Amino acid sequence: MKVTIVSIPVRDQEKEFQFYTEKLGFIKKKDIPLEGGNRWLTLVSADWQDGPEILLEPAPNHFEPCKVYQDALMEAGFPYTQFDVDDVDAEYDRLTKLDVEFSVKPTKMGTVKFAVFNDTCGNNIQIVEML
Amino acid sequence: MTFYESEIERIRGICYSNESQLDTIIATKKFIDTNFDKDLKLDLLSLNQFKSKFHLLRLFKRYYGQTPRQYLMDKRIEKSKEYLKEGMPVTETCFAVGFESLGSFSKLFKTKIGKSPSQFQKEQFSRS
Repeated sequence: MKVTIVSIPVRDQEKEFQFYTEKLGFIKKKDIPLEGGNRWLTLVSADWQDGPEILLEPAPNHFEPCKVYQDALMEAGFPYTQFDVDDVDAEYDRLTKLDVEFSVKPTKMGTVKFAVFNDTCGNNIQIVEML
Repeated sequence: MTFYESEIERIRGICYSNESQLDTIIATKKFIDTNFDKDLKLDLLSLNQFKSKFHLLRLFKRYYGQTPRQYLMDKRIEKSKEYLKEGMPVTETCFAVGFESLGSFSKLFKTKIGKSPSQFQKEQFSRS
């Protein structure tokens, strides 16, 4: 078995697609139309295009418990998932200039430095740099 | 402050209160990052950070979740992928990332990446 997909629940696939590609810098890998306007939409890191894919999954719109869970995480400030970066401070500066909102500024925690931002579609996302 | 932040604060207080110890271990990791191509032994790492080697081993594992050797091997494999992508020959790559024999490099590469270094390199070029 291989790990190839990380699923992220989104309220609006197109809006989130714009955010993840235009602001975060991911690249579209697969876009397969499904019923009711839903898509199997996956992205990869620009500098690791054969790496794992992110699946932007419209689950909160179709399965109420997913929405409840997502809302609870958001309210408590918990990140839904996290991405590795080389330099958290540099990413923080870059994303802040693009009007991305951070709930946690770059902070040291043991052997990592991390920050948390709002992905505008229902999730907190954490970026992490190994020190 | 969110619940997440207060939890982070709480856990930091319990797990990461010894800052000088953390600094030593982070410095050790950075030393590996810049010297991965050399013949690194635990004695050398401990000499560099003035700690007994068993203490260092235990602390590194405690804070990074891997032994220094496991971390070093991952670092070398990660670097070798970069070099192979840039077109460096397999044998040259093997020595450039600090392995002493082609056999041990190829075997570890295959175990971790699922294909041999030459297969990996071939795929990179057929892709671009």
